[in-house]
Amino acid sequence: MRRLISISILLLAVLLVLPGILSAVGGGYWFRVTTTIGVFSILTMSANLITGTTGLMSLGHAGFYGIGAYTTALLATKLHWPFFLTLPVAGVVTAVFGILLALPTMRLIGIYFAVATLGLGEIIHVTLLNWVDFTRGPMGISAIPGISLDGLFSASDITHYYAVAIIALLAALVLGRLTHSYYGNALRAVREDDQCAASMGLNVVGLKIQSFAFACFFAGVAGGLWAHTTGYISPGDFRFSESILILAMMVVGGLGSIPGAVLGAVILLGLPEVLRPIGDYRMIVVGAVMFFSILFLPRGLLGETSVLSVVRRQFGLAWDKTLNLGWRQ
Amino acid sequence: MMRFKQCKTLLTTVCLVALSCGASAQNKTVAIGYQAPLSGENAQYGTVFRNSATLAVDEFNKSGRLPGVTIQLKFEDSKSDAKEGVNIARKFSDDASIVGVIGDFNSTVSMAAGQVYAQTKVPQLSQTASHPDYVKISEYQFRNINTQAYEGPLIAKWAFDSGAKKVAVIAIQNDWGQSAAGNFVQGFKALGGTVTDTEFFNPGTRDFRSILTKMARSQPDAIFVGAFYEDGSAFLQQKVQMGLKQPVFATSSLYEKKLLELAGPAANGVYLTSTFVVESTEPHVAAFVKNYEARYNGKPQQFAAQAYDATNIMLNAIVAAGGANATRAKVRDALAATKDFPGVTGTTSFDPATREPIKLLSKLQVQDGKFVSVK
Repeated sequence: MRRLISISILLLAVLLVLPGILSAVGGGYWFRVTTTIGVFSILTMSANLITGTTGLMSLGHAGFYGIGAYTTALLATKLHWPFFLTLPVAGVVTAVFGILLALPTMRLIGIYFAVATLGLGEIIHVTLLNWVDFTRGPMGISAIPGISLDGLFSASDITHYYAVAIIALLAALVLGRLTHSYYGNALRAVREDDQCAASMGLNVVGLKIQSFAFACFFAGVAGGLWAHTTGYISPGDFRFSESILILAMMVVGGLGSIPGAVLGAVILLGLPEVLRPIGDYRMIVVGAVMFFSILFLPRGLLGETSVLSVVRRQFGLAWDKTLNLGWRQ
Repeated sequence: MMRFKQCKTLLTTVCLVALSCGASAQNKTVAIGYQAPLSGENAQYGTVFRNSATLAVDEFNKSGRLPGVTIQLKFEDSKSDAKEGVNIARKFSDDASIVGVIGDFNSTVSMAAGQVYAQTKVPQLSQTASHPDYVKISEYQFRNINTQAYEGPLIAKWAFDSGAKKVAVIAIQNDWGQSAAGNFVQGFKALGGTVTDTEFFNPGTRDFRSILTKMARSQPDAIFVGAFYEDGSAFLQQKVQMGLKQPVFATSSLYEKKLLELAGPAANGVYLTSTFVVESTEPHVAAFVKNYEARYNGKPQQFAAQAYDATNIMLNAIVAAGGANATRAKVRDALAATKDFPGVTGTTSFDPATREPIKLLSKLQVQDGKFVSVK
C-alpha cells in the first residue's frame, strides 16, 4: 500500500504537477531547462551505477553520452528512423561500445581506472571530432528531427519534456531495481573490497562489466534524447568538462544514491539558470554552493545510506512479501 | 491538456492587452537580446561584444532616431556551452519585448540556439558564426561576417598572384578551420596551384613542431594559416625557430593586436585580410575607434567592430520595421532587406535569397610589429 502511494505521488509530481507549474510560470524557457536537467539526471543516475555503487571512478562518461547522441543523430538524419527506434538502438550501440572499450580496463582499480576512462572519453571525443567523413567532424550534425509521432503528437516543448521525463522514470526504475537488490549489494561489495568479494564467490570482473554495460546503455539513451531535443549536436557537447560536470552532480547529490543524482543535476543545471539575474557572479555562487555542500555534507545532499533506507521503506524495494525474501528495515 | 490550452489563450490575451497599452504609452521600450560567452573560455570575446553593443545602443538612444522609444539590450551569458545557449534562446523567445537577437559567438552555440529561434520565429543575427550551414537553418538566421567561401578563394588568388605555386595549409580542427582550409585549397587548386600538405591541429595545441617539420620537407612556396591569434602566434614563433622562410598568408581571424604582442618579431611579414582596419581614416571608423577607446581604454579589434556593426544593423532593422510597432516578423524582413549598410567593417549587404553577407576585404601585412595596408 505504502509502495503504491509513493509511486503514485512520484508519477503525479513528474507527469502532472511539475509540467503544470512550468506552464503556469511561462512555458518554453523553463520547459527547456527542465528537459536539459532530465537528460543530465539520466546521465548522472547511470554514471552513479559505475562510480557510486560499483565504486569505479569513471571520467569518460561524456564520451559514451556522445556515442549515443551521434548514433541517434546519424540514424535520424541519414536513415530517417523514428525516435522509438533510434533511442533503444543508441542505447544498445553505446552499451556494446562500453563493453568493448571497458574490457581492457576491468583489471584496473582506483586512480588507474579513472585515468584509463579519461583516456577513453578523450579517444571518443577526438574520434567524433576528426572522423569528418562519418561524423561531419566539427561541423556537427544539424536538423535532427524532434520527438514526434504522426497523428499522435508533434515535436514541442511539452512533448520533449514528457519524453525525457518518462525515460528518466524508466531509467530510475531499472537502475533502482539494480541497486536496491542483492545484485546491488554485490556491486557494493565489489566497491568496498573487490578481493574479499571475489573470495566470497562473486565474479568481480563480470559484475564490473555488467554495471558498465547498464550505465552505458542509459548514457546512450540520454545522448539520443539530447540529440532529438536540441536538433543540433557537435563534438564540443561531449568534452571532458561534461564528464566532470556529471561527476560533480553525482558527488554533490550523494555518491551511490539515485535521488541524489537527480538532485545534483537539478542543482548544477538549475542554479546557474536561476542565478542569471546576478550576471557575472553566478558561476562563483554555483562554485561556492558546490564547495560548501562538499565541505559540510561530504556524503552528498542525499547520502547513500539514508536514501537506501527511505527508498526501501517507501517503495518496498529489496523486500518481496510473497516469497518472504530480502531484508526488512 | 485543456487547462494548458486555456492558460495559453489567457496568456496571449494578457500579452496583447499589455502590448496595446504599451504602444499608446509615451516611452516604449523595445529590447534586443544578446547572447554571448561572458564567462568561460571565450569570455574575452563576449566582453568585447558587450562593450561594442552597449556603445552602439547608447549612441542610438542618444541620437533620437526613434522618438519615444528606448532600445534596451538584454545580455545573457552562454559560456560557449550549447546547453546554456539553447536555454537562453528559449528565454529570449519567451520574452515578448525582444524583437531580435544577436549572437552567439561560436558556430556550435549559434547553431544549437538557431534551432530554437527557427522554431519560435525570432530573427537571429550572429556577429561571428561562420558555419556554412548556419544561415540554412531557417529564414530567421543572419550573420555579419564573411564566410570562408568568400574569403578563402580571395586569399588563394592573392597568394597565387604573389608568385606562390605550391602552398602548405594548416588550420584549426573546428567547423571554422575546416571551411577555411577547404575553401582556400579549392580556390588555390582552381587557379592551377598545388597544395603540398593540409594539416589540422586540435584546439588547444601549442606545439606545432611536428607539423612544421612535415611542411618543411615538402618545400612549399607559401603557408596558409587558418587559426586564431592564440594558436597563430605560437605557430608563427615556432616557424621562425624552425628556420622556415616561406611567407604566411592568413585569414582575418589573425587581425588582433594580441597577435603582435604574443608573436613579437615572428609576426613580421604575415599577409592577412581584414574587414576592419583600426588605423582607417574614414570618418565613421575613426569616430567608432575614438568613442570605443574613450569608454573602454583600449582600441577595438575586428570582433569588436563586427559586434558594433551587427548591433547597428539590428537597430536599423528595428527602425525600418516601424520602431515602436516593430514585430519579430517585421524585423526579420527588414534585416533581409539590409543593403549597403555603411558599417565600420565595410559596406554590408545581405543577399536576399541566401541571407549571406557581402563585405569588402582589405589586405594587410605585418611590418615592424604593425598592421599596414597593402595593395
